[in-house]
Amino acid sequence: MRRRAAPLVGGVLCVTLLAGCAGLPERLGLPVMPSPVPSDVVPTDLPAPAISVGDTQLSPDGFDVVRRMAVRIRNVGCGELSTGSGFALTEYTLVTNKHVVADSAQLELSTYDGRDVDATAASTAGLADLAIVRTAEPLPTAPELATADPVEGDPVTIVGYPLGGRLTVTDGVVVGTTTDPLNTTLGEVLITDAPVEPGSSGSAALDAEGRVIGVVYAKNDSGFSFLVPVSTLRAMLDDESAFAPAPTCAG
Amino acid sequence: METPPPVDIPEPWEAVVPPPPAPRRRRAAIVALSVLLALALGAGGALTWYLLEVNAAWQEQSADWQALAEQHGAELAQTRSELDATRSELAAVSDQLVTAQERITVLADEKARLGDESAVQQQLVDYQQRVSAAAGQVATALATCIDGQQQLIGYLEGAEAERYDPVQLATRREEVESYCRRARDANDDLQTELNR
Repeated sequence: MRRRAAPLVGGVLCVTLLAGCAGLPERLGLPVMPSPVPSDVVPTDLPAPAISVGDTQLSPDGFDVVRRMAVRIRNVGCGELSTGSGFALTEYTLVTNKHVVADSAQLELSTYDGRDVDATAASTAGLADLAIVRTAEPLPTAPELATADPVEGDPVTIVGYPLGGRLTVTDGVVVGTTTDPLNTTLGEVLITDAPVEPGSSGSAALDAEGRVIGVVYAKNDSGFSFLVPVSTLRAMLDDESAFAPAPTCAG
Repeated sequence: METPPPVDIPEPWEAVVPPPPAPRRRRAAIVALSVLLALALGAGGALTWYLLEVNAAWQEQSADWQALAEQHGAELAQTRSELDATRSELAAVSDQLVTAQERITVLADEKARLGDESAVQQQLVDYQQRVSAAAGQVATALATCIDGQQQLIGYLEGAEAERYDPVQLATRREEVESYCRRARDANDDLQTELNR
């Protein structure tokens, strides 16, 4: 009886050894039992997907920064009316041309979306065709000023209100520099082939990164536009005595 | 010379004959072999049983993986379908946004132009008010001037002209000239406004 039970005991022992002893089948070179299938294999530490919004920075209302910085200026004079452009420098300050705000009885401002903004004060630079207007309400957004003037061949984007009409964005390149043909701005000014019209005066000229590189102030018969370079703008802004209250038509 | 030792030749009746195997030792060997064989068979059976178990477990796991894959495949297909729908919706919303932006820009422009026209109209109204006021002043001053002149003429041409004091007449004449000067000044202001 004992002799007959011996194989059975041995087999059970071997199975027990194979199945029960963890690692024994591996040491013996035998296939091992598979691990249980997880209930979920979705990783939890996935990196957030990069959402592409195109080349422009979007705002809550979908307008890009280039348009949101623009301001339309209505110069209500004594028996005269003219329009110009400007752009936000800070939340309550905008930059435009001296000749846009000069000889006014009242300045009326509006943003890209037609919102009216009250002007509280205007001051003009003595040595450049530049002016600063303070506002009572905040402006939508303000661009960054470039640290250096552009060079010939650099792309330029101009945003403003040509002929007092719709907000328009035009492109071109810097074609060179010259002394101011109107003798209103000290030093050299920039020449671009970006199309502008009367009413574009005070428009921001931007580089490819959306930084201000100049302020439109004139055009010639050949279709070239002239910019007050950002270096001059910076120099004027750094000099508190450079600006004086803007002359009004009332004297 | 050394002589070899004598060889002891066994006697034929003393030859060595191997003893026959004992039945007990043979049985022991058979038992040992049987045990070994049984162990081998047991081990083989156990191994077979283990391999069958492993095979079954792997098959079960494979089926589970396949089920999981099918589940995730279905979820992926659903997600892709939803993504396509969302992209389509996003494209439509983007188009609507562009249209809305265009509309906002147009409305802002229309509002600005209306503001321009309103400002121009206000300037025209102011101008007309100034002209009207200037014209009114001219008319008033002119009427005063004419009345004075007519009165003065009456003093000078009447039958009782000699009754009036020449000094008073001169004073009256200066007053009338003053009225007429005011009328001329008012007319100059009016012409200035008209020439603006």
